Amino acid sequence: MQEKQDGLEELLPQEAQEEVPASAGTQFEGGMSEEQPVEETASETAFSEEETIPEAPMPEKQPLIRVEGLKKSFGDLEVLKDISVEICEGEKVVIIGPSGSGKSTFLRCLNLLEIPTEGAIYFEGAELTHASDLDSHRRKMGMVFQHFNLFPHLTVLKNITLAPVSARLHDRRKNKLKITRKQIVEEEKARAMKLLARIGLEEKATAYPATLSGGQKQRIAIVRSLAMNPKVLLFDEPTSALDPEMVGEVLALMKELADEGMTMIVVTHEMRFAREVSTRVLFMDEGRIAVDGTPEEVFGDPKDERLKSFLSKVL
Amino acid sequence: MELLLNAKTLADRLRSAFLVDDRWKLYFEGLKNTLEMSLFAVLIGVVLGFLIATVVYTHKKTGRLKILSAICHVYTTVIRGTPVVLQLFIMYFIILATVKNGIVVGSVTFGLNSAAYVAEVARAGLESVDPGQMEAGRSLGLSYTKTMVKIILPQAFRNIIPALFNEFIALVKETSVAGYVGIVDLGKIPGLIQSRTFDYLFPLLFASALYLIVVCILTLIERFIEKQLSKSDRGNATKFIKGGRKKCKKSKTA
Repeated sequence: MQEKQDGLEELLPQEAQEEVPASAGTQFEGGMSEEQPVEETASETAFSEEETIPEAPMPEKQPLIRVEGLKKSFGDLEVLKDISVEICEGEKVVIIGPSGSGKSTFLRCLNLLEIPTEGAIYFEGAELTHASDLDSHRRKMGMVFQHFNLFPHLTVLKNITLAPVSARLHDRRKNKLKITRKQIVEEEKARAMKLLARIGLEEKATAYPATLSGGQKQRIAIVRSLAMNPKVLLFDEPTSALDPEMVGEVLALMKELADEGMTMIVVTHEMRFAREVSTRVLFMDEGRIAVDGTPEEVFGDPKDERLKSFLSKVL
Repeated sequence: MELLLNAKTLADRLRSAFLVDDRWKLYFEGLKNTLEMSLFAVLIGVVLGFLIATVVYTHKKTGRLKILSAICHVYTTVIRGTPVVLQLFIMYFIILATVKNGIVVGSVTFGLNSAAYVAEVARAGLESVDPGQMEAGRSLGLSYTKTMVKIILPQAFRNIIPALFNEFIALVKETSVAGYVGIVDLGKIPGLIQSRTFDYLFPLLFASALYLIVVCILTLIERFIEKQLSKSDRGNATKFIKGGRKKCKKSKTA
């Protein structure tokens, strides 16, 4: 573990050159930023499932993501009905709910893969639905998909470096930085190799996605998002398309990231993961957030009738 | 039949078809013109065709480029709905009447014609790419154009290579209608020679053989490209990579 973190530390100086603030990196590092200790304890208590009231995980500061009055319809079908929620840095939010309750749609609205019909989404204080520089915001919101969506025509290494290289080239053009294209590519390659080493797949760097197992694909997809130094990771049912024996390796990586302080929003059917790793659980039903509470409140002592009946079916 | 088998006459006919007045040079001059026209037409066709397909696809997926998309739609309808010979006449005698070089007129005409067909093929290719690919690209902060160029188009291109080469092959042979407006392409040569020798047999056979060879070379190129691009296929992928699957398995257990 220590070794891995050392490796990641070396990534930091590069981040300073990028537009991503250094805090994105420290968060990654784990235990370095001020609010970290609070987070750690919160997740530890949650993990060990030890009675009592968990400490309030919310530091008093501006939320990372704020959603106001979000509505989304597909034709006549209203999928999201007036959702408002705030998510702070360091929170690990798990969204559960019956199928068709709008979980995935909600998640996809957060980075505007679905355009909301109504409402506003603030990310780091900037409103996204009318943002002209949406791409630069998206770089800070990683997304992991159910079907991995690796680029099949590119090698694993290229899959990981494509976006960061492109972002830095864009940055270079904009700020007229004195760095050659080759330097950027080499630096990003080195970073990608470190990330691959972290998940023990550096030997797959030159392989094409078609040769990988589902679990490997998903872990590489996660690493691909990490390569952008995101402030938040969105997971859209990351284990639903996996064979049962591969679910564990993906969840383990996700847990590792959570322990390091990464802000995560996870749509999942893995109730154990939700219970052990999350700091907050949203239960969605019929396009609304029906319950918003700590995992203890949601799993230990559910009050909402629909939540009760949902949990009785899945647990 | 007797005449055909008569060795002496056969030799004479061969000689008059190829050797007298260095007539063999005519075939290759025609071949050169055919290849020139085909090459430029393919280039115009592919570039314009992919452009049209991208515009139509973008309109369908995002709702943008409405007017451009409508224009493209009219274009493909008109071009595919009229015979290429008439298009050639219209170009040669009306639109490009001032251009003296027939090869240029031919290249442009066949290129514009081919673009309409390539556009439909390319559109099918774009739609064959999983929508998740666009989402993955955009969620990584790549712009729409960048995602298109780096992720969607390469995959679309791969999927349509057989259909694309079908179009190229048809195009090479289609250029033989250029003779209608006096362009001396390979298809025109047998007629020219027959008008001197009153013998069609060998000129027709030889010109056909040359077309056949060109098409065979095209097919070889197609196989080569397919093989290059199949590197990322399951099953093939390990063949191209040092170490291959065995090595990787080992690392997993380690």
